[in-house]
Order: sequence, then structure tokens, then C-alpha cells
Amino acid sequence: MGAKVPRNFRLLEELEKGEKGLGAEACSYGLENGDDLLMSNWQATVLGPPHSVHENRIYSVRIHCGEAYPDVPPEITFISKINLPCVDPRTGKVEHARLPCLAQWKRDFNMETILIELRRSMALPAHKKLPQPAEGSTYS
Amino acid sequence: MALPKRIVKETERLMAEPVPGISAVPHEDNLRYFDVTVEGPSQSPYEGGIFKLELFLPDDYPMTPPKIRFLTKIYHPNIDKLGRICLDVLKSNWSPALQIRTILLSIQALLGAPNPDDPLANDVAQHWKENQNAAIQTAREWTQQYAKPQ
Repeated sequence: MGAKVPRNFRLLEELEKGEKGLGAEACSYGLENGDDLLMSNWQATVLGPPHSVHENRIYSVRIHCGEAYPDVPPEITFISKINLPCVDPRTGKVEHARLPCLAQWKRDFNMETILIELRRSMALPAHKKLPQPAEGSTYS
Repeated sequence: MALPKRIVKETERLMAEPVPGISAVPHEDNLRYFDVTVEGPSQSPYEGGIFKLELFLPDDYPMTPPKIRFLTKIYHPNIDKLGRICLDVLKSNWSPALQIRTILLSIQALLGAPNPDDPLANDVAQHWKENQNAAIQTAREWTQQYAKPQ
């Protein structure tokens, strides 16, 4: 087992990866406020997967990394409306129990792990044809 | 996992013979993670301030440099809004012969000698070049506002 990277240095690594665009192609993420020294609040986008009802849609989500991150998973809330079983249809909040990487969180998972899994969930055969709210509508 | 001897030695020496104006204390639950304070050098706009930093020794330390950033807000052309530091010895000029102690001294020296020609915070560096007196005044105000000891 290697050195345990503290929260803030882990988030700096994630930020640098996000800033340089080294992450997965269909997801992007960055700090909500560039001078948030605690690096708690993030904004991310997920591009809807092809061959699904989500194709060409761009979903915005908000991510909150608490003090105990990455020992505990962050909170993720959709800003764009979406019909997906793991997302609370009233608030847009992702329910941890209904997304495997959040339900079985590991310390070496990161924000990108979650965004990629959300995108994969959109493309599942059982989900890819679910009727969707109007494109561009948001949870208020 | 045992802590490498090199880190144990460095930590012991930091405790036994602290550098004046600098402290570095490892976290009990992570001996590679240090809470650091650096006093602003006299005759600098940071004089009278006590700046908090955090330092982490990655797995491959000392083959790679420590990671370090300011936790106290500071107005300085080589330090960005997230406290990240632009300093050659933390990047290309790192050598395993350097230590936590020497790095912290370099950071204290950087406070005494801002270098707007190699900026990390572009807006601050520009302010520094266009009107050095005004920039220094802002740095003083930030020191008063954010870096005063409790």
C-alpha cells in the first residue's frame, strides 16, 4: 500500500487533470469558483451517449466534495433535468444506493469515475429509451 | 507501511532544530502530511503575517519533490488563487539532495523576493509590473486581512 494522498492534494490532482483535458472525452469538470481554497464545489458536464435518447444532450451536474472526501463519496446533483433511475426526479440528486460506484465507494475512485458511470447508466439497454424531460430544462 | 528512514530523519530534525520563523508538524494519522506555518519576512509586504501551508511527501519522495500549497490567501505574483506555488526547486530544479527544510526556506525567500517575470497569477504579476507600489500595498492589506495570528 502506498502513501495516503490527503484530500486537498487529491483534489488538486483532479483539478489539474480536468484543466488539462486529460480526462475522459465525454466528461469535463472544474471548480465552481476558481478561488475556492477548500475546493468543495465543482461543476461538471456529461455528454449523452450515442445510440440513446440522450445522444447530443449535454447534462450539467454539481458535485460537492465534503471534508471527508475521498474517504466518503461526494454528493452529485443534476442541474439539467433527466429521467434516470438513480436520479431523484424532484431534486436531481443522485441516490448513492442506486449507482454502484457510489454504493461501493473506494478511496481510489474519483469524480471522473462517477461521471463515466453515470454516462454508462444512460446507455444501459433498460435506460436508453426512457422518455426524457425537454432538452435544456433544469431543476430549480 | 513503514515510513522511509529519510522521512523519519527529516521529521526528527525539523522538530529538534526548527528553522526560525517556520514550523512543520506531521499529522498523527498521516506522517507524510504536514501542517506548515511560515512567517512573512521582515522588510517584505508579508511582514507580520503568519501563513499556513500544507505539505505532502508523495510515494516516490525524495525522487520527486514534496507537494506544497498555501492555505492562507496571499497576494503574490508566483502564488495562485488556490495557493499553488511557482518555484523552480519544486519542479524542474528539484534534487533529492534538497529537503523539506530547504524547500520551506526557499518559499520564505520567495515571499521576500516576488518574481513577476515568472508569474503563476497573471493578474497579480501584471499589477506588480505596472504599479509596484500599489501591488505591494495590496499585498500588505491582504496580509493584515488574512494572515494575522489569532
